[in-house]
Amino acid sequence: MPLLVSGPRRRRTTVAAGLAAATLLTLSACGSSDDAPSLNGAGAKAGSAYDKIITSAPVADSSDVDASTWASAIKKQGYLKVGGTDSGPLFSIKDLDTGELTGFDAGLSQMLAHYITGKTDVKALTKLTITSVDTRETLLQNKTVDAVFATYSITPERAQKVAFAGPYYQSGDAIMVKKGNDEIKGVADLNGKTVATESNSTAALAVKKYAPKAKILLFKEDAQCVAAVQQGRADAYVLDQGILLGDAQSNNSVTVLGGDPFTVDPYGIGLTKGTDAKAFVNGFLKKIYASGDWAKLYKATIGTVVKGDAPAPPEIGSVPGS
Amino acid sequence: MHVITDNLGFLLQGVLVTLELTVLGYVGALVLGTLMAVFRVGPIPPLRVLGTVYVEFFRNIPLLSLLVLVIFGLPDAGVTIGLFASGAICLALSASAFVCEAMRGGINSVSVGQAEAARAIGLSFTQVLRFVILPQAFRTMVQPLVNVFIGVLLSSALAAAVGVPELTNRTEQLNLQYAEAVVCFVFAGVVYLAVALAAGAVGGRLEHRMAIRR
Repeated sequence: MPLLVSGPRRRRTTVAAGLAAATLLTLSACGSSDDAPSLNGAGAKAGSAYDKIITSAPVADSSDVDASTWASAIKKQGYLKVGGTDSGPLFSIKDLDTGELTGFDAGLSQMLAHYITGKTDVKALTKLTITSVDTRETLLQNKTVDAVFATYSITPERAQKVAFAGPYYQSGDAIMVKKGNDEIKGVADLNGKTVATESNSTAALAVKKYAPKAKILLFKEDAQCVAAVQQGRADAYVLDQGILLGDAQSNNSVTVLGGDPFTVDPYGIGLTKGTDAKAFVNGFLKKIYASGDWAKLYKATIGTVVKGDAPAPPEIGSVPGS
Repeated sequence: MHVITDNLGFLLQGVLVTLELTVLGYVGALVLGTLMAVFRVGPIPPLRVLGTVYVEFFRNIPLLSLLVLVIFGLPDAGVTIGLFASGAICLALSASAFVCEAMRGGINSVSVGQAEAARAIGLSFTQVLRFVILPQAFRTMVQPLVNVFIGVLLSSALAAAVGVPELTNRTEQLNLQYAEAVVCFVFAGVVYLAVALAAGAVGGRLEHRMAIRR
């Protein structure tokens, strides 16, 4: 108790705590307006149609699984330990109502688990460990996860640490700007501008390469990058075209520049080096390419925002590092 | 190791930003915290209430929430503050609550007799604080204030999440390119450790100097 004042204090403390709580409520109310970017944005909704795409995909012959020590260990375990995210629109996002993970990456991981185990309860096929760029290689090396499905760009540097199956999806970076911004028409116009991107994406490297004079702001999350463009902190937001299109669909104050992406970004499935996983997973990818299940999953996820038919899947092993 | 040696300049700039954030945040916290401590021990009830509300608010809101509120919430209300400035302001606000409590603890550690004697010889409230209480109180405040400094230093890493290009943010950028998480983060960890240890050593010396030798 202060030595320079005296008197009963208990009541005052209670009042003060109440006031503090009230202030906090008011502040948090300011933070959530209707046009704020939402994490529960575009993406396939969980449900029977989505589940059916997973469970109608092929199941491996038991002799194939037995021939692979990696796959037979997973079959014995009964589920696949997946490294990824639960907040990536279109690729891997948790349906807040059902708790089911949906999206292109999530769907592929569920298909792979279904392929190995043959089980049909989609929710129980995989167990997710949230990974970030900082942890992916380490979690594979120490076998905390069996495979990483996390819009994981194949690069030669990363391929020294982990094995990559695929590529299973080829995209590239596009540019998002605020509606009405006609200064930025292409990647060269980013020079001298402030460009936001996600801190766990290779897009920052692409911006450095194609627009060396751009000032890069790294934010942790997609939603923060979109907010930065909306609020004028950044002139543009550079990331994978599919993800940006998903964002633009749920936020009508921003728009994605048309045309083809300015980079080629091959996504691979990260696997532990020194195991026989890569050959097995590549075999799985070839099967779902041929059966058309890859295209079905594409239509149900990325295809909801990218116009046109599913593209031809990229050729296995076609990029350095795969 | 080439990740570090090739990009030493880039990383050192990050160290500089981290130090700037820490120093600005800490100095801001000292000013605000002292003011609030004076409010809280002072004789004017409305100011005491203000000090209490302030401390309870900023001590109990996570720094990351505060950063997100200031950086992404305030622009919706029409106030846009730069990223670096937002980081420094939030660090100062958050740490000032702890500074205030450290000061108050120090002030309360000086026996009541000292204040009564000072009042008895006719010193005003300000004079009592300045000439009698604070010089004695500072002795017990040194270590808590060093703790707050280290807290500010380590919390400054949270600014990485909201785009301030300080050490952690730059470490993440390098890791993107080179996929060398362990090496990159060990480097960052060593820098934080070195600065924190240096702060601890300065605190130790200060405390030693101020100790009463009887």
